[in-house]
Amino acid sequence: MAGTALAPTPAPAAPAPAPGKRGLGRALSDRRTRFGLLNATPVVVYLLILFVYPIFSTLMLSLKGEEGGFTLQWYTDAFQGANLEILLTTLRISAETSLLALVVGFVLASAISRLKPLWAGLAMLVVVVPHFISALVRTYGWIILLGDNGVVNNALTDMHVPGAPVQLLYNEIGVVIGTTAVMLPYTVLLLFAVMKGIDRRLLAAAASMGAGRITIFRRVYVPLVAPGLVNAGVLCFILCLGYYLTPALMGGEKQTMVASLIDEQVMKQNQWNGASALGIILLLLTFAGLLLLRLLKSAGEALRNRGTAS
Amino acid sequence: MPETDVMPELSLASAAGLTGSGKPLSVTRLRKTYGGVTAVDEVSMEIAAGEFVTFLGSSGSGKTTTLMMIAGFCEPDSGSVVVGGRDVTRLAPQKRGLGFVFQQYLLFPHMTVWENVAFPLQLRGVSKAEQRRRVGETLEMAGLSAMARRRPRELSGGQQQRVALCRALVYRPPVILMDEPLGALDKKLRDQLQNEIKRIQQELGLTVIYVTHDQEEALVLSDRIAVMRDGRIDQFDTPQELFERPRTPFVADFLGAANFLPGHVEQRTSGHTLVRLDTGGVVKARPQAGTEGARVRAAVQPGRLALCPPDDGFCTGTVETVTYVGTLVRVTVRPLGGAATELVRLELPAGRAPDLGERVGLTADPANVSVFPDTEHGG
Amino acid sequence: MIELRSTPAGRITLAVLSTLILLFLALPIIVIVVTSFGKDAFGSFPPEAWTLDWYTQLFADGSKWPAALSLSALVAAMTTVFSLILGMTAATALVRSELPLRSAVYGLVLAPLVIPQVVIALGLFLLFEPAAMLGSPIAIALGHTVLASPIAVMILMATLKGIDERLEDAAASMGANRLTVWRRITLPLAMPGMVAAGIFSFITSFDEFFISQFLSSVDTVTLPVQVFNVLQYNVDPSVTAVSAILIAVAVVALALVGVVRKLSGSGKQDGLLPTEPGLGLPAGSETAS
Repeated sequence: MAGTALAPTPAPAAPAPAPGKRGLGRALSDRRTRFGLLNATPVVVYLLILFVYPIFSTLMLSLKGEEGGFTLQWYTDAFQGANLEILLTTLRISAETSLLALVVGFVLASAISRLKPLWAGLAMLVVVVPHFISALVRTYGWIILLGDNGVVNNALTDMHVPGAPVQLLYNEIGVVIGTTAVMLPYTVLLLFAVMKGIDRRLLAAAASMGAGRITIFRRVYVPLVAPGLVNAGVLCFILCLGYYLTPALMGGEKQTMVASLIDEQVMKQNQWNGASALGIILLLLTFAGLLLLRLLKSAGEALRNRGTAS
Repeated sequence: MPETDVMPELSLASAAGLTGSGKPLSVTRLRKTYGGVTAVDEVSMEIAAGEFVTFLGSSGSGKTTTLMMIAGFCEPDSGSVVVGGRDVTRLAPQKRGLGFVFQQYLLFPHMTVWENVAFPLQLRGVSKAEQRRRVGETLEMAGLSAMARRRPRELSGGQQQRVALCRALVYRPPVILMDEPLGALDKKLRDQLQNEIKRIQQELGLTVIYVTHDQEEALVLSDRIAVMRDGRIDQFDTPQELFERPRTPFVADFLGAANFLPGHVEQRTSGHTLVRLDTGGVVKARPQAGTEGARVRAAVQPGRLALCPPDDGFCTGTVETVTYVGTLVRVTVRPLGGAATELVRLELPAGRAPDLGERVGLTADPANVSVFPDTEHGG
Repeated sequence: MIELRSTPAGRITLAVLSTLILLFLALPIIVIVVTSFGKDAFGSFPPEAWTLDWYTQLFADGSKWPAALSLSALVAAMTTVFSLILGMTAATALVRSELPLRSAVYGLVLAPLVIPQVVIALGLFLLFEPAAMLGSPIAIALGHTVLASPIAVMILMATLKGIDERLEDAAASMGANRLTVWRRITLPLAMPGMVAAGIFSFITSFDEFFISQFLSSVDTVTLPVQVFNVLQYNVDPSVTAVSAILIAVAVVALALVGVVRKLSGSGKQDGLLPTEPGLGLPAGSETAS
């Protein structure tokens, strides 16, 4: 658009100078740079006002005492009594859900990755379409399915399963089932992408050396999929941390998660500072997860580089 | 429509009012660096109206960068570009009014052939009726009338490039720039389109600047060729001059894959230079570089060498290979004597092929032998 | 193809397991659609008798659903416009120019996808509450745009990358100025991507719950918020019909994207689905709310 796509790329020996090197003044005067800045401005301004600034003011509010002034009171509150329990519940349910979504996603993704293109496409449709349907609606579907007179319990009763009907709603089983269903498309898609990239002949090669099925799975397949597993697991965990809908609708008292607590503090108790502190804690947990991902990634790369160097 | 159809006669072109639209162009001390590396170094040239000029060079020689600076897609660090008396150096491409034909055709995929060709006229606010007339005539000239309603992707490569050509011709730009326009086509089609481009250019009196790395294409098309290397013009001359009187070993090698025979200057007279070759013989060459005794290389194109009885020529050797290439035969000869082991290549008419292993002598017209100092290696 | 053959038992196990998992994904949706036509809205499955009552009740006098539906549609339409404007300019900046701090801008644009939506919603609440803008459709749309714009940017970046930039240069060489190039070349070629980005922005907003919940007032309640309130506090059988409508909207939207993709003639052209390597598929409805 700025009319330089046709300009021949400089020879490999002459890398384009970094903007810093030739001076910001020069860079700014460049037509193509001005064009970029002009176009980047709306989204940057928008996000600064409606995304960065609000989060920043949340941070400020979480550090402000009831009579003004700086305080860490809201954070100490967050790590005490009922609030601490809710935090721990959030971590527990997130961990349970991510683990389940990871295992189930692994099975489905590896099955799809072996299907013929047509069937794989259809299966993927069943994974992707629900992903774009409101999670609220899907959660409602689970409420209908798991109720005392729902499809699942009716089936269990008909089969004369001892103990039926089983309590599946408003407890942790319900929350984990519902949340896993919401998170599953993420893990399936992430794992599928990794599995598609695996050269399946490697497995045959391992077999030709006399490796058994379990050995091949453990020593070849899982290590090859490992980066995807880590990625999917951590991302799923992060998304669960701040998740509200399903736990709020399908959980009981004991399944209250941080997002519900924030909602309650803002809407019912007008306790904005406390809510802000909880929000910032969630944010920091998210950053920690992303940082972990990055560290694991570079560690993995370093490991691989060392492998090729030796 | 078959690929081999010939363009209809060009009387239509004059009807379309396209003739004589070419303007002169001059480039003065054009310079461009990327990082620390100089891509184009003080390139200057004068191009006359109606002239067909080719920038010839390998990749990285600066030919495309020079073209892009003329087009305005790339800003020069210094120097100027003047088209028809107007300095356009600092103008955006859309304000220069030049025509451009790209190697990748770059036809607009969402427009039909007709819409593609009409597009530049619409930009210029040409009336609907005038658009119809000019697009129709231009397409007819290129033998594309039947394709007018098609989309570019329904056309073959050769047809697409013809549409691209029409799109550049239709608005009568003062200079048309072509960046390896035939690079993506196969040999047969390339030859055919070369002829068409040359004919249209001559009939319409267009000023064309053409970029290619194919020396054969350059020789066929051009009035003058600028041989470029490392961002500079080695020589800017007519094809014949370049071929017969290369000024640098690079030009000699690039245009004709010359044989380079090492030796030293034995004698210089006003008429010619005598070079004592390392293989023993003496070759008579054009008076060029080198004081007596200086190490030199005598360059001669394979097609300018002839066979003679052994020991009669400047060099004697045994025939190593004989390869028939149509009406020509390519022969390599291993020179006898001296330390030189490099084979000498010849191109002879097919009827004069020697036998394998035969002892032969080599001769050449002194006017076709150039002498270069042995400091740099051409190639 | 050298392939490690799996045992029949293993293949059957895997087939059964994956069918069950696919059922697990599809069942809640199927149940809602079927139940919405059943006489007994909360009762037995499959229903013993069929009815369209729940759908007709939606538009009965005194129903709150039409207002919620039209508010959601209005907000989603505004979000689509905002998100397309921001998405197109941002994608142009990121794909078609030299941008200082490019990776920082890119990171900022995608950040809303990984930041917990509670935090975004809380922040927006703190921004709009003092401005007395709670319940304003514009405020809700501005909030939804934070979530929708990254998706639009990703789709449009892929779209722009798929358009040969030299076509724009070719038009410029013939004398087209930047506006003409944009109008005559870039925009028509980017249209499939624009439609896809618009559709995804629309359903992102239409299905969004958490931000709407924080920014709504008693009078202005979006469809998902209304659904949530009904599910949590009272029993209104027509909520099943509303849910079925939400499902239909999402399915129709996805089908539209599929059609656009087909029509644009390029099965190869990527980017009509919002996928991003680092994040997987962080698009969609309010999955993380």
